[in-house]
Amino acid sequence: MKRISFVLLSLVLIFTLTSCNTKEEVRTLRIYNWQDYIDDGTMEEGATSMLDDFAEYYYETYGEKIEVIYDTFETNESMFNTLKTGKTTYDLVCPSEYMIMRMIKADMLIPFEEGATPTYDKYASKYIQNLFKNTPVSNGGSMADYAKGYMWGTVGLVYDPEYVTEEEITTWEIMWNPKYKGMVSSKDSIRDTYIPGVMHVYLDELEALRADYLNGDITSNEYTAKINEIMNRCDDETLDKVLDHLQDLKSNLFGFEVDSGKTDIVNGKIRIQLAWSGDAVYSMSLAEEEDDKILAFSVPQEGSNIWFDGWVMPKGADTVLAQMFVDYVSRPENAVRNMNMVGYTSAIAGQEVFDEISDWYDESVELEDGSFDTTDLIPYDLNYFFEGTLDEDCDGIIYTSSLSGQLYTQYPDLGTVERCAIMQDFGVQNNKVIEMWASVKAVNLPIWVTIGFFVIVAGIFALVIVYTVFNKRKFRKNKR
Amino acid sequence: MSKPKFSRKLLAIPYGIFLVLYVIIPLVLIIIYAFTENVESNPHFVYRGEGYRISFENALSFFGNISNINTFIVSIFTGFLNTVICLLIGYPIAYILAKKEYKFSFLVVILFIMPMWINFVLRTSATREMFYGFKEITGIDITGAKYPFFATMVGMVYNYLPFTILPLYSTMTKMNRSLIEASMDLGATPVQTFVKTIIPMTMPGIISAANMVFMPTMSSFVISDVMGERQFALIGNIIQTYFDQAMWHLGSFFALTMLVIILVSMFLTRNVEKEENARGGLW
Repeated sequence: MKRISFVLLSLVLIFTLTSCNTKEEVRTLRIYNWQDYIDDGTMEEGATSMLDDFAEYYYETYGEKIEVIYDTFETNESMFNTLKTGKTTYDLVCPSEYMIMRMIKADMLIPFEEGATPTYDKYASKYIQNLFKNTPVSNGGSMADYAKGYMWGTVGLVYDPEYVTEEEITTWEIMWNPKYKGMVSSKDSIRDTYIPGVMHVYLDELEALRADYLNGDITSNEYTAKINEIMNRCDDETLDKVLDHLQDLKSNLFGFEVDSGKTDIVNGKIRIQLAWSGDAVYSMSLAEEEDDKILAFSVPQEGSNIWFDGWVMPKGADTVLAQMFVDYVSRPENAVRNMNMVGYTSAIAGQEVFDEISDWYDESVELEDGSFDTTDLIPYDLNYFFEGTLDEDCDGIIYTSSLSGQLYTQYPDLGTVERCAIMQDFGVQNNKVIEMWASVKAVNLPIWVTIGFFVIVAGIFALVIVYTVFNKRKFRKNKR
Repeated sequence: MSKPKFSRKLLAIPYGIFLVLYVIIPLVLIIIYAFTENVESNPHFVYRGEGYRISFENALSFFGNISNINTFIVSIFTGFLNTVICLLIGYPIAYILAKKEYKFSFLVVILFIMPMWINFVLRTSATREMFYGFKEITGIDITGAKYPFFATMVGMVYNYLPFTILPLYSTMTKMNRSLIEASMDLGATPVQTFVKTIIPMTMPGIISAANMVFMPTMSSFVISDVMGERQFALIGNIIQTYFDQAMWHLGSFFALTMLVIILVSMFLTRNVEKEENARGGLW
C-alpha cells in the first residue's frame, strides 16, 4: 500500500512540475465561448482558424509565442457553474446579457480598462455601445464597463406567408389565436417564452403606449424605457397572470421546442415559430435553398427582446491578452468572417461589414452608365447602426424588395429596435419564475382527479395492510 | 513484503467501489441537497460545503404547488399504464416463444430485442416522424402536437416492450409445464389454469418486468419530450427543467420523491411475493 501511494505521489508531482514548466514557456489565453460561435476555419478547405490567426498576429507583433485554448459551453447556466466550481479558470468568456448581469452581481468579473480596445471603440456600432452604456448593472456602473459586444439580435416570429398574413403577425396575440391552433411553436426555455407571455398580459397597456408614441406624446427614449419596464416585470402578481396566459398558450400550441423548430418550420410541421433572429436567418435560407420556399420574420408591434452576447473577463484573467483578443475579433474584416461562419449579427459596424451585407442583400441592378436602378425597391436605412463607421461616400442604405426578409431579420430597422428592450436577470424572483415555468409545463388535472387519486392510493394501502395481517393470522392458525 | 493472499472476497472490491461511487455517494448527496437551501438566496452554486443551511423549503415548494402533485400523479399513471400495456402485449408473446416445440423462438426474441441496439433517441425521433408521415398520407392527425399523451404512450410502449418480454421469456422457459397439464387433468378450466397455475409460476418474471418498466418510465424525459412535443411532462421532465436552471435543491427533492415511490413499490411487490410463498405453503 505504501509503495502504491508513493508511486501515485510521484506521478502527481511529475505532472504538476511539467505543467509548471510549460506555463513558464508559453503564455496562454483561455477562451470559453458558445459552440460554433467563431470562425474556426472549418468553413472551407485551406481556411485558417481565427484563434490561430490571433496567435500568429501576436507573434508577429510582439515576437512572443502564445497558446490559445478554446473551450465551448451549451448553456449560460452550465458556463456559470463551471466558473463557480473554480476548477478551470478562463481569461475570456462570452455569455448572454442577463448572465453578465448575474456575474457582475456575484462579483466575478474584472472591468475593461479605458482605451484598451481601440478597434472596438472605433468600429463597434454606436447603437450597441449606447445600449451597453444605458444598461445599468448592480454595482452602479454600466454594462459597457464590463462587457464588449460580440453578437446581437432580436426575438420574433418566423412565419410562412402562404398561411399567415402580414397584418395578423404584427401582434403577439397571434400565438393565442385559435385560427392557428396546433401550428405555432414556442421555445422550451422560460427566458424566451416569458417574452410573449408578459407582452400578452400587458397587451392593452402596450397598445396605448404605442399610440402615444405614434401621436408624438412621448419621445422615442421614453417609449423604449417604458417597454423595458413592462417587459421586465416579474413581481408575484405578474407571475400569476403570466402563468394563466402561458397555460392558455400551451393549449393553442403545436408544442415547445429547443432545436427542432428550426427545421420544422421549413418542412411545414409548424407555420409560426418563436425564434431568435440568428436561427430565423438559418431557417429562412434553408427554406429558400432546399424547398424554394419563402419564410418571413416579424418583430411584433408591441415590442420584443433585444439580446446580445458579450466578452467578459472573469477574476484572475490575463487581462492584457484578453483585451487584445477582443480588439482583434472586433476588426471589421474579422467580424465579417465570424458572421459568415455563425450566421448571427455582429456588434461591429464598419465599411467592410456594410459591403458584405449589401453584397448579400442589395437587389439594385447596376446600369451601363454606372448608376443603380432602384425602381420598385425600398430604401432600407441602416445609418442608426453604421453611423460614423462608414466611408464618406457611402449612404448606409440598402435597396431591398422585402421588409420581412433576411435583411430585416439580421439588421432590424430603427423603428423595430426602438420597441425592443433588454431582458434583465430575474434576480431574487428567479426561483419563483422557474417554478412558474415548471407549472406551465406540468399537465393540468381537474381537482377531482387529484383527490380521487389519493383516495385510490389510500384504499390500496389499506387493502394491502389488511390482507397482510389477515394472511399472517391464517398462517398461524394453520401452524397450530 | 509478504506475497498478498488471494481470497474470493477480493473479487467483490470492484463492485464495492462502484457501489460506493455511483450509488451510495449520489444518494447521500441527493438527500443533502433535498433538505438544504442556499443562504445567499442565489441558487447558482454547485455544492462547496459552505453557505448552506438545513431547510424544508423544498418540501414546502413541492407540496405547496398543486401542479407538482399533478405531475406526480400523471407520472405514476403513465408508469402504471405503460407497465400494464407492456405486460398485456409481452406476456402472450413470451408465452408462445417459450414453448419448446416452437423452433425459431430464439430468432424471434432476437428480433424483438434488435431495436434496442439502435440509439433510443434516434429511434424515438424516427417514431415521431412516422406520426407526421401518417398524418400526411391519411390525413388522420394523431401526432404529439394534438395528442401529446397518446403519442408519448406509443413511444413508451415501443421502447419498454423488450424489457418486459425478456424477463418473462426467461422465466417461462424455466417453467414446469407438467404442472399446467396436471391442472388441466384435474379438471380446471383454461381460465382457472391460467389464473391459478401459470400466473403464479411466472410471478417473478412479471415482477421483474414491472420493475424494469414502471420506474424508468416515470423518470424518463426524452421520450415525452420528443413524442409529446414537450407539452407532456413527467417527473423526469420537471427534474430536468430545474437542473437545467441550476436549481439543484428543488430538483433533488423531486428526485427524492421518486426514491420514495421506489421504496413503496418494493414494499408492495415484497408483499405479493410473500403472498405467493404463503399460497405455496397451502398447496
